[in-house]
Amino acid sequence: MIPSLTREDLKIIGYNLGRVGNLFSVLMLVPTIVAAAYKEFDIIPHFIAASAVAFILSNLAIYFFHTKNGMELKHAVCVAALVWIFGMLLTAVPLWSTRSTGSYLDANFDTMSGFTTTGLTLIPDIDHLPHSINFFRHYLQFIGGIGIIVVTITVLAKSEMGSVLAFKAEAREEGIRPSVVRTSRMILGIAITFMVLGAVLLAIVGISEGMNVGTSIFDGVAHSMSGFATGGFSTHSQSILFYHSVWYEVVALILIIVGGFNFAFHYTVLSGKRSEVFKNIEIKTFFITLMLSTLIIAAALLFFNVYSSPDTLFRKAFFQAASAHTGTGFATVHPLQMSGVWPNLPQMMIAMIMLLGACANSTCGGIKAIRIGILVKAFFNEIKKTLSPKSAFVREKYHHISDTPLTDTIARGAALIAIGYIFLFFIGTAVTMLYGYGATDSMYDTSSALGNVGLSSGVTSPAMPPGLKVTYIFLMWAGRLEIMAVLALIGFVILALRRGIKR
Amino acid sequence: MGLRKFSLRAFLKKNFDFIAGVLSEVGLAASIIAVGMLICLLLIAIKSLL
Amino acid sequence: MKKLAFLIAVVLLLLVPAHAGAESGKALIENSKGFDGKTVTFQGEIIGVMMRGANAWVNVSDNGYAIGIWCSAENAKNISFTGDYTHVGDTVAVSGIFHMACQEHGGDLDIHADNLIVVTRGREVERTPSLPLVGLSAVLMVVAIFTILWLRYRHKEMEKIVPWPVT
Repeated sequence: MIPSLTREDLKIIGYNLGRVGNLFSVLMLVPTIVAAAYKEFDIIPHFIAASAVAFILSNLAIYFFHTKNGMELKHAVCVAALVWIFGMLLTAVPLWSTRSTGSYLDANFDTMSGFTTTGLTLIPDIDHLPHSINFFRHYLQFIGGIGIIVVTITVLAKSEMGSVLAFKAEAREEGIRPSVVRTSRMILGIAITFMVLGAVLLAIVGISEGMNVGTSIFDGVAHSMSGFATGGFSTHSQSILFYHSVWYEVVALILIIVGGFNFAFHYTVLSGKRSEVFKNIEIKTFFITLMLSTLIIAAALLFFNVYSSPDTLFRKAFFQAASAHTGTGFATVHPLQMSGVWPNLPQMMIAMIMLLGACANSTCGGIKAIRIGILVKAFFNEIKKTLSPKSAFVREKYHHISDTPLTDTIARGAALIAIGYIFLFFIGTAVTMLYGYGATDSMYDTSSALGNVGLSSGVTSPAMPPGLKVTYIFLMWAGRLEIMAVLALIGFVILALRRGIKR
Repeated sequence: MGLRKFSLRAFLKKNFDFIAGVLSEVGLAASIIAVGMLICLLLIAIKSLL
Repeated sequence: MKKLAFLIAVVLLLLVPAHAGAESGKALIENSKGFDGKTVTFQGEIIGVMMRGANAWVNVSDNGYAIGIWCSAENAKNISFTGDYTHVGDTVAVSGIFHMACQEHGGDLDIHADNLIVVTRGREVERTPSLPLVGLSAVLMVVAIFTILWLRYRHKEMEKIVPWPVT
């Protein structure tokens, strides 16, 4: 029996949203440093005003919803779901007020795309954006990427949602608060290490490929933030194609693949257990699915005579496959060229692997490699059971940080999430097609939004109907939260409407 | 109070696991990329034989 | 002779409505297969220059559709401004061979330029802060700080009157 909602429940949620709102207010002051450095003094008041509005609203929420009661799991899940909406609305203000986007709805699309590390954008003229706004967009992806991992490990894992995360001893045995502080520090440390490393390498490559030093450093930092966060925003409308450089693409590939690894995997390897590299089910699953998809995509492009040399296949087929599979969205092929020239098979493969995603507890979206690995093992386990005598006890296990028995509960949880993604994929595709777009393009962009990837066939543009923009905002949000948290929130709302809110 | 002299050797020794871990992960990513490249080469070879 | 013919074409281009004769970026990218290997004329704003020895990559954008131009370093040195927030980039007219997937450049969609002519010199764009907005942001920040301090004071006062029950 689900207890009715009380006013205290709403106060707890409102109070904690207010506290997070203060964080967004502070975050919006950071780009003013970049604006000052690039003498974009006309942009600074926009960030200050937006930050001030966020401070006012957040502190009013803290005051009026004040409570000393701590969050229970149900509150934490709601806050985890709502914080993206709250953050989206607040951080959209500077994008809209600086006219970087056409409308406030477009600005919300971009900030949701930023926080959810999707990478789809409605900004019509990226090449003429102020440096501070460009920095802000990439920085939102970095913050959003780290944020979702903290939320997933400390909140969603405790709820046993997604099942595969529920077995984490850390989440089970400790309360949320100490876990947030300790886990956040660990995640931030790892993320900053790789971000700095990526920025340095990209800057060096940029300079060696003929770009001026200032642009190389700025682009390096920005692409490192959005690359490691598997976000995919770029400082240029051409994305990585702007650089016409194989070395830039290789460094970007390393960054996005590392960004797609599980943070628990990062922690294990960086603590000295380097053998995890060879044993981890997610790494093995991700490797197999990436290579299989590369094979199919590259073969189709080769035999349909789109590309005909190994380096072109590598820089187009493999790069796009890796970008899609890790949920990044960096592009070395123009979207219009992909939809106009690439045959349907490689486009459909890209759409499928966008839904698969990389590893769990990473910055990427999608169904995640661990669930795919578990489902495949569970499938073969069922076959083994069928072929074995009735009295036989068939046991399967998998290795993810430690050896874990593959139980029916875990397999069921993985299947539920996968079904949730597929269900939303069909809904999103249908809605897109209702607006008059073709089937392949609809599937492609829906996958991209739901899997938080960011590649587009051309459907996502400022000219998109407003209804479709709202649909894709929902898909990005739901995909980021692995569906369940959003459904829990909807359940809360339905409960409130049906039973009312008790005192 | 004197400043401790920075020793690269001591720093590397203290952070060996972390640095080796970073290199392992970069190496893993590079290996994945290399296999991807190999697949592309293989496909070209197959096409040339057909 | 080739250069003269190109210059005449550029002058004619300037006298007729934009893009007549020059392919648009959108058309080139959408129909890249049809234009592959053909000589095209393309016009747009410079958004990026990268010198690569005796050659250079120049990224040219036409209404948001950007194409990489592979040209000589000499041509690239004629460029004065690259488009960004505080600059309008030079508008250039390019004539050259279009590649849907250039074999020389890893499959990139590009144009190997025979000629690159600066049609309109770029310029700096003055971006001055809006005084009303500066005033508004200052006022809002003062209001925000005041709100935080006032609400904290109110909260402390209320705690004195109705202290939270100690359990």
